[in-house]
Amino acid sequence: MFKKILIANRGEIAVRVIKACQEMDISTVAVYSEADRKSLHVQLADEAFCIGPPPAVESYLHMERIIQTAHQAGAEAIHPGYGFLAENAEFARLCEKENIVFIGPNSKALRLVGDKVRSRQTMEKAGVPIIPGMKAIPKEFSEFESEARKIGYPVMIKASAGGGGKGMRIVHSPKDLKYALEAGMREAKSAFGDESVYLEKYIEEPRHVEFQILADNHGQVVHLFERECSIQRRHQKIVEETPSQALNPELRTLMGETAKKVVQVSGYNNAGTVEFLLDKDKNFYFLEVNARLQVEHPVTELTTGVDLVRQQILIASGEKLPFQQEELSQRGHSIECRIYAEDPLNNFLPSSGKVLFLKEPKGPGVRHDCGIYSGSNVPIYYDPILAKLIVWAEDRTAACQRMVNALDDYVILGIKTTIDFLKEVIAHPQFTAGKTTTSFIEKNFPGWQGRTKTEESLRLALIASAFDNFSQAYSSVNKGAVRKEVYSPWQALGNWRIGGKR
Amino acid sequence: MEYEFLIDDRLHKISFDKKENVFIISDGERTFNADIQFISSNALSILIEGQSHLVYLAREGDKKYLSFQGQQFTVQEPSAEGKGFVEKEERSQQDELLVRAPMPGKVIKINVSEKEEVRKNQTLAIVEAMKMENEIKSTIEGYVKKILVSEGDLVDSENPIIELSTKD
Repeated sequence: MFKKILIANRGEIAVRVIKACQEMDISTVAVYSEADRKSLHVQLADEAFCIGPPPAVESYLHMERIIQTAHQAGAEAIHPGYGFLAENAEFARLCEKENIVFIGPNSKALRLVGDKVRSRQTMEKAGVPIIPGMKAIPKEFSEFESEARKIGYPVMIKASAGGGGKGMRIVHSPKDLKYALEAGMREAKSAFGDESVYLEKYIEEPRHVEFQILADNHGQVVHLFERECSIQRRHQKIVEETPSQALNPELRTLMGETAKKVVQVSGYNNAGTVEFLLDKDKNFYFLEVNARLQVEHPVTELTTGVDLVRQQILIASGEKLPFQQEELSQRGHSIECRIYAEDPLNNFLPSSGKVLFLKEPKGPGVRHDCGIYSGSNVPIYYDPILAKLIVWAEDRTAACQRMVNALDDYVILGIKTTIDFLKEVIAHPQFTAGKTTTSFIEKNFPGWQGRTKTEESLRLALIASAFDNFSQAYSSVNKGAVRKEVYSPWQALGNWRIGGKR
Repeated sequence: MEYEFLIDDRLHKISFDKKENVFIISDGERTFNADIQFISSNALSILIEGQSHLVYLAREGDKKYLSFQGQQFTVQEPSAEGKGFVEKEERSQQDELLVRAPMPGKVIKINVSEKEEVRKNQTLAIVEAMKMENEIKSTIEGYVKKILVSEGDLVDSENPIIELSTKD
């Protein structure tokens, strides 16, 4: 087993990996950009090293510097988290060359599945159903134009190197194609360092269903069932759950076995996710392999009882999978909400700045994977994900209720977040009924203007503001001394004595 | 004591007095008693006629951010003699001519040049923050008077990036 692991990431996922390492008695090395000196992952790791200026290309994407840092710190392995270098085959190859274990798939498999076009070819050959579209990356605009005409509008532009909605565009008519291609390529370039994009037939109103897989270095592969991630905005998942309402046991088994086949023909190892689109008639199409730990991995953990990060580390260190397919089962229902630093009332524009106050939701069946704290800064340079709220309950209805309550119990002040919006999503009758498709948000929340504020809440906000001013005026008269006492727990306890009986 | 606050840009008044440990509050409609306690510097427990409420609060500069049952409020004290309102109106007239980024970010592309004629809704520039591109569009028909930033610059949402002029 490894003694020391470097985590080449930031935010909630770096924290998640650090915690798994700590439980396994593995020392942790954090890396950070100049914008992240005070970030949570730096505080929690055993060692931390600055790897460059704020822009990701000069820090979290800087392969040589990260590898050099791993060598200097004596880390035997690197966990890439998700995003940044997680699916970068060149980085995985560099690690292999430098004798550092990359906690993820081998570079050859990563190269194959990371090349969306080549992996489509491979899957088609293996008899895995795929969406009609391009089988090669075109050089000329005219090729895009003729291909789009051939497969028929609407078409989807996708980044060959990508995921997470970056570089993706839907094009409804030929006149928008050129501009959308340019924007898609620019976004792909900045997110992945590779501007290759391709076209695919756009399937309307599909569900997004993906299967978690684990593959050890000895050829054993299992799937850990599905996650449904249909609730998306700008092709970015915002709510995920498992089990999916759209699958029955037969379809689940068929898709799960197909996912295993995808992994096997790719020569893939470690944790990965096989994404499918499921259309209205329950036909499924292979989308892509997400060759990394997924953002939404906790819902699988809560329903299967398997710690995926721990398994990633065990697999990377050469261990065999500790279970067979038959030993795995789903129990209860789990939902995850992604908490983004975005303003739902202002076209979901990113909201950077200081988190003035954070109150984390707590309670039975509530998990909060978090990368922020009261006083932390949210920089403009990185993904807007702040945290993930995950609940588990015995069935879907109970899980929805638990999620709504947990969101009510969740306070982030100072920056705008999607908390309030998510509450409306989970409480929406169509969501409760399990009618989730990828167009759910567009259809049910066009131009969302927020919940109407109640008279009562307005009155309480007014009272609280007045009281706050009143106490501040009072405390300034008393040179601040009184105010300090007001917050002191000893003051609130009344009379007490050490060692006293009831 | 009388207090005035701008809550989400609307003016509200409240009268607030303390008698022994009870606060007597009047919001114009009715008068009631409340027992209010700080739980921490960011949380207030408010008891009104047996109803228990918990309000979270944070302060930054002249602003307070409040949260009650998941509803959020931004609270400000009105500047002297309702000056806040006048400034807002004046600014909105200029706003059409002074183009600002909707959020702090990095200018990745400027799509127009000075003296160029622009249509309404034409993309003037692209600003990126948190990996998301945002197109900044013209709200008027007119000309580009001045470009105040360069590609690659970091911008906030306060300072204008492009100045436009109207056709007449």
